[in-house]
Amino acid sequence: MPDDKKPRLEPGECIPWEQRVKEYEKLLGDPEVVKKVWKETDMLGYLYIWACLIQF
Amino acid sequence: MSEDMATLYDQRMARYVAAMHNEKPDMVPIRPFAAEFCAKYAGYTNQEVTHDIDKAFDAVLKCAAAFDWDAVVGNMVYVWTGLTDAAGTNYYTAPGIDAPPDDAFQYREPADEASAFMKADEYDQLIDDPTGFLANVWMPRVNDYIVEPGQPSTYRNNLAWLKGGMATLTYFTRFGEQIAALKEQSGTVHAIGGCLKMPFDILADKLRGYRGLCADIHRRPDKVKAACEALRPHMMFNALVGSDPTKQVPVSVWLHRGCAPFFSLKAFDEFYWPTARQIIEDIWDNGNGVQVLFYAEGDWNANLEFVKQLPDHSIIYHVDRADIFEVHEAVGHKFCLSGGVRNDLLAFGTPDEVRAQCKAVIEGVGRDGGYIMDAGAIMQDDAKVENVQAMTDAAREYGKY
Repeated sequence: MPDDKKPRLEPGECIPWEQRVKEYEKLLGDPEVVKKVWKETDMLGYLYIWACLIQF
Repeated sequence: MSEDMATLYDQRMARYVAAMHNEKPDMVPIRPFAAEFCAKYAGYTNQEVTHDIDKAFDAVLKCAAAFDWDAVVGNMVYVWTGLTDAAGTNYYTAPGIDAPPDDAFQYREPADEASAFMKADEYDQLIDDPTGFLANVWMPRVNDYIVEPGQPSTYRNNLAWLKGGMATLTYFTRFGEQIAALKEQSGTVHAIGGCLKMPFDILADKLRGYRGLCADIHRRPDKVKAACEALRPHMMFNALVGSDPTKQVPVSVWLHRGCAPFFSLKAFDEFYWPTARQIIEDIWDNGNGVQVLFYAEGDWNANLEFVKQLPDHSIIYHVDRADIFEVHEAVGHKFCLSGGVRNDLLAFGTPDEVRAQCKAVIEGVGRDGGYIMDAGAIMQDDAKVENVQAMTDAAREYGKY
């Protein structure tokens, strides 16, 4: 399934920041602020998918 | 929270933690895993507590207030139809939908290859990208409203993801409130934090089915091992993300069908145990310092030689249908034990019989500490109220050190 274009996902990730950051034309402000909220919300998606498998 | 309630909570937490570290507290702690029993006690049907989390939580609060229990779980009827029905999850039967309202929910296991949630030739996809496989292949298979990528999307699909995610967030937010309510209203400790399943059990339960996995360990053994290894870091992550930040209460792992005779000891050693052992050791060591409640469903005594390999105090060994005295002899010096009170006795026995068994377990297993009173398995609505009361009273009467 994964190919060269798709980085391997670590636990807690659905779409890695490294992939997302390439999609912005440019970031006018502090990228760390954007990165933090991206990663936190991305992890919610991860946790939902894995909760379906493990918890329910 | 009143001062009295805070003191009671602290006493119970100290008692529970001491026992889990194989020490001798002031008395034997009581930590029943009560599921549909709570509904029965509170006057709700199984359908009501499976569908309505307010009633499910209320039932547990009523039990915690009525019985002198040190620790409980906020809701052991863990399948909430608010979540499963939002996405059309098809591997459960739910009371009031496709089961009678007085039944408990049931897991519907794939019977053959055609109905397996992961096909035999899909191991590599899971191994290469577990999260992607779950999102793109597994979720559409186990949820009637979710469509595969590449297929035309639907209104139902869009809403299934949205409602499922929102429902999950709602459930766990309410769970946090429930933990606080248990502490404030009855001084009751929440017994566990974080949920773990072993990779091999996940392969059997949710992906290949037990029958499919039995064939796979012979036909594609390397794939099974690689899949367990691919799942391992995710199991760790999910267990620790929900674990107790104070590291006082354990992560729970519900061990399903890895033990003999479901799998031979040779197969257990080769397929089940390597990742299971690694996960427990990593949760306990590597700076994590969290215990695992090793909930050994069924009879795991044939596998005790493996359990002995785990670090001292890394687990609380829960005994379901096995002979708890044998377990104590084999691993009681290493781990706290819990359970061992037969569910059939709680359902069909008399209070005197229950009291006698509790006395025997406390005297035989708990005499030096390191024992927590509980039924062998989760208590459903067949447990009689008077027998559960007898178990509670016996623990207090015979359990003082």
